[in-house]
Amino acid sequence: MALAELFAILMVAAVCAALMAGYPVALTLGGVSLACAALGHLLGLMGFGILGALPQRIYGVITNEVLLAVPLFVFMGVMLERAGIAEDLLETMGRLFGPLRGGLGISAVIVGTLLAAAKGVVGATTVTLGLIILPTMVRFGYNKRLAAGTVAATSTLAQIFPPATVLILLGDQLGNSYQAAQLAKGVFAPRSLTVSDLFAGALIPGFALVGLYLLFLIAVAFIRPEASPALPREEKSGAALAVRLVAALIAPLALIFAVLGSILGGVATPTEAGSIGAVGAILLAARKGALRVALRPVVEKTAQIVGMIFLILIGATAFSLVFRALGGDVMVERALTNLPGGTDGAILIVMLAMFLLGFVMDAFEIIFVVVPIVAPPLLQMPGVDPVWLGIMMAVNLQTSYMHPPLGPTLFFLRSVAPPEISTKDIYIGIIPYVLIQLSALAVLWFWPGLATMLPHALYGH
Amino acid sequence: MRFALAFAGLIDRLTAAIGRAAAWLTLAIVLMQFGLVVARYVFSAGSVPATESVIYGQASLVTLIAAWTLRTGGHVRVDIFYADASPRRRALVDLLGTLCLLLPFMLTLLWLSVPYAARSWAIMERSQETGGLPLVFVLKTLIPAFALLMALQGAAQAVRAAATLTGSADGAR
Repeated sequence: MALAELFAILMVAAVCAALMAGYPVALTLGGVSLACAALGHLLGLMGFGILGALPQRIYGVITNEVLLAVPLFVFMGVMLERAGIAEDLLETMGRLFGPLRGGLGISAVIVGTLLAAAKGVVGATTVTLGLIILPTMVRFGYNKRLAAGTVAATSTLAQIFPPATVLILLGDQLGNSYQAAQLAKGVFAPRSLTVSDLFAGALIPGFALVGLYLLFLIAVAFIRPEASPALPREEKSGAALAVRLVAALIAPLALIFAVLGSILGGVATPTEAGSIGAVGAILLAARKGALRVALRPVVEKTAQIVGMIFLILIGATAFSLVFRALGGDVMVERALTNLPGGTDGAILIVMLAMFLLGFVMDAFEIIFVVVPIVAPPLLQMPGVDPVWLGIMMAVNLQTSYMHPPLGPTLFFLRSVAPPEISTKDIYIGIIPYVLIQLSALAVLWFWPGLATMLPHALYGH
Repeated sequence: MRFALAFAGLIDRLTAAIGRAAAWLTLAIVLMQFGLVVARYVFSAGSVPATESVIYGQASLVTLIAAWTLRTGGHVRVDIFYADASPRRRALVDLLGTLCLLLPFMLTLLWLSVPYAARSWAIMERSQETGGLPLVFVLKTLIPAFALLMALQGAAQAVRAAATLTGSADGAR
């Protein structure tokens, strides 16, 4: 192994070690990369001059048209959160299904799914569910771990259902890698992979996950009825509640159909649909009379989330520049292509690495740092469908939102959960859901059609 | 130290003012993009300057918001140890992080991007699209501006962290 490559490995180790200290990730990536470039230059392993490309790379990042969908969908999600759409839904649905065994948990999953499809921001969903449904579950005698685990897992659905931010960012990175991979194979009229492909591909696996969550809750309700008891029935008639539920459902459902329908129908690009969704959310908030108070906080919160994402991207750009200059990408490619087990072995290793990295890095960093390095060689291997690979990565990354110690979901949940729920309850409660996620990955592995069927049918390639 | 803290407060006000103003670009992006959608689907009309304006909005937003986001703690950290650390320990991480990571990175970026932007100014670089905005040099200037704002905010954070560590933080923020 060449000295430069050894140095590239040291660079990765240095980044991981520096990250542990707790300084903002984006700046750690940038600072460590700079130090490694300087050291590498002194040791004669690379030229420092390569960093001269940095301003042009950053220019490419901030003017990236695919990423324009991010501020739009984040705006939509934050606005819907502040408008209190979720509260109405949860309350009515909880009343309707509460009197069934396991009913509250099931309504949490259903509302979580609807919110996920409308929001795409994990924190917003976690806070809403944690504030509204978790205290109710605990009050009526749900097992604390089951309740906390269900809420935490359900909120991560916002990272797998379109328009999840993770899918947009993955679509951007994988799209570039896919082009590079085809050019490397000598295909000079490369096919493209778009964010819409990933949106369509995520739909069936997303619903499959919801199905598995529901099966788990129903199974618990039968095997251990005391863990998820039925709520006492209220006097209010079922019919009146059903009417309220429909009323609460109409607006968000219309928005979801407008946004996702236009993307999946191939009418609009994700960016266009995002602007429709954001304006729709503004109108919903205005109808509820919440716009005046909510606008400034929504604008500022959106701006900060978007700024946070782009800063990581800028730090990761510096990292990949230096990592490549040291020959790290060639090394990764050689390692992946020489693995025993060929393509399967390579993908398995990458999936395992992403799962483990999820314990120390957050999903955005993994997408910006790891995907551009591992995706081009993987996509050159025979029979690897880019949509399938993207969805496998997305489910994998979704899992990283729920497992300790970094899972942002757990962090958000801890900040809003009622005091009788301890951090340990959340950690233990999440275990069955992490297992569900892993089995979903196994299912996707053997039936790639679950991910590729819909995009192939819709966009015909 | 008192003087340094006053200086830090001044920087805070500057980045917050820029950040709060830049935040409204999110609304501008939403409305402009929506306008483009309406124009395209209702009137089958498109406009290169309008399309580019949305991108300009995004570029300005993400470069001008970063420093204020740093001040408000909006940038993700790996908080395995940081979350439970004492205020002194956190101040130590912030001080060392700023001095060893943020400042070198942002100052290098400033050093690299000033000539980069200057080259663009020299030719008054414009969009390569026909009818595109003639303002690419402004767009490229955002990069040194971003590096400068981040370096300034970093200096302010370092001053505050040092004040916490030396115990002279009382009274001033």
